[in-house]
Amino acid sequence: MELQINDPFFQEKNKAMDALYNVLDPELMVNIMDLGLVYNIDFSLEGKIIITMTLTTRGCPMGDAISLGVKNVLNEDFSDREVDINIVWEPQWTVDEVSAAGREQLGF
Amino acid sequence: MVTLSIGKAPRNSAVLPFYGASAIFFLALTVLMFIAADSFKEHFFHPHTLALVHTAALGWGTMIIFGAAYQLMPVIFEEELYSSKIAFVSFWFLLIGSITLIVSFWFFQVGLAMITGGSLILIAVILYNLNVFRTAVKSALTIQKLLLMSSALWLFVTVTVGVLLAINLYYPYIPSNHLEILKLHAHIGFAGWFLQLITGVSSKLVPMFLFGKSENIKLIKIAFVFQNIGLVAFLIDDFFIGASDRIFIYYILVLIGILFWLAYLRDVYVKRIKKKVDIQMRHTFISMISLLIALTLISIVLMVSGNQWSILYGTFIFLGWISAIIFGKTFKTLPFIIWNMHYKDVHGKRNMPLPKDLYIEKLLSYQFWCFVSALIVLILGILLGQIIIIKIGLLIWIVVALLYVFNVAKVFLHKKII
Repeated sequence: MELQINDPFFQEKNKAMDALYNVLDPELMVNIMDLGLVYNIDFSLEGKIIITMTLTTRGCPMGDAISLGVKNVLNEDFSDREVDINIVWEPQWTVDEVSAAGREQLGF
Repeated sequence: MVTLSIGKAPRNSAVLPFYGASAIFFLALTVLMFIAADSFKEHFFHPHTLALVHTAALGWGTMIIFGAAYQLMPVIFEEELYSSKIAFVSFWFLLIGSITLIVSFWFFQVGLAMITGGSLILIAVILYNLNVFRTAVKSALTIQKLLLMSSALWLFVTVTVGVLLAINLYYPYIPSNHLEILKLHAHIGFAGWFLQLITGVSSKLVPMFLFGKSENIKLIKIAFVFQNIGLVAFLIDDFFIGASDRIFIYYILVLIGILFWLAYLRDVYVKRIKKKVDIQMRHTFISMISLLIALTLISIVLMVSGNQWSILYGTFIFLGWISAIIFGKTFKTLPFIIWNMHYKDVHGKRNMPLPKDLYIEKLLSYQFWCFVSALIVLILGILLGQIIIIKIGLLIWIVVALLYVFNVAKVFLHKKII
């Protein structure tokens, strides 16, 4: 996920992305940002943060834990906003989404 | 974009009791093997051998496979498990049935105990089938799903034949030779239940664990066809016409099915992105090597007389192929289940342990080398017919079991730290 400097919610998104670096995929032990699981962060609705993200595998037993982790870290930094998570399967996640730092941690 | 809900993991009661019980059964198996070390030199139709084989097949193998299958069905079927309650009930039937059956074999108490034990296991298997098929109907058919369903059906056939054999021991009514039907029972269990389940689950999980994607899923489809044609043709021929040299044809058909499956796994391995292979996956390699040796031994069993070849075949199947895959997969699943139980709600907090911190990885590494040594020494003992070497091998097996049980207990007894 890339952040544009002219984004009207640049500060908020930057802070949210920093927080999301603390959410690990417990199985891969790599954070969800470096894995490329987060597709979009939307602050446009008042009082809400809408996270559009995916998981590495459909039916992943860790999916619940990961989405709760996203809510936990964002609730700490944005206590005035409600966090909604949309799990999507398209576009389908592939290893191409993993950042250079993530690849190093995964031993690619 | 398509938005979908996240698949929920089944309740812990549907999974954890199976893991705990199977670890205890494994420890009991190694102790019983040591006590009955002489049975490694005797004919396989011996009370202690029958008790050992069923401890391995039911208490150890099937027990943990049930638990893992309930946990992994949402991953493989991409649907929530139909019923965690039915899964929990199936645990008690399998547990009590297995203990009753094993004890009745050990003391060779034919009759009520043996038949009751077998019947309780049959109920557990029917409940397992119910969960598999009710979960499966909710989503599209895939080859992995087909293999899980066919293996569940073959398990039902295996156990049904087993119960009929238990009745036959008390009240002989089967016109054919009891040992011939016993062989059918064993072959269905191997090529129907264990083989097809492991083929299906591994073809889904190994690419996930290795980050290796194979485009050749048709290899698994061909594997499914050959494994089933070989097994069905063998059963029909052997049951209705009788044992003959045609068994080689069916053996070759199943073998082709296995080779197609292994070709798929090789393709995944070659194309993997994750180059480092962890200790859990190394267990999988030992498992596959054991399977290939066991398959080679079948041809020897069919051509050469000598009881040690059958015992050797069973050793490679249960203590090599099935045990190795269980050792690896236990620590790919159990720590995650327990971690989910303790830390799901606080995920994202600092200084939180990870699933890998719930067990001692170093101990798993020691266990791996003890396991390889135990297998080699035991095989040498059987080949040489030396009871002292067999006993040394079996002592190392007890060490393997103690290391495994310790690590499993450590995961189970983990106390939440934040």
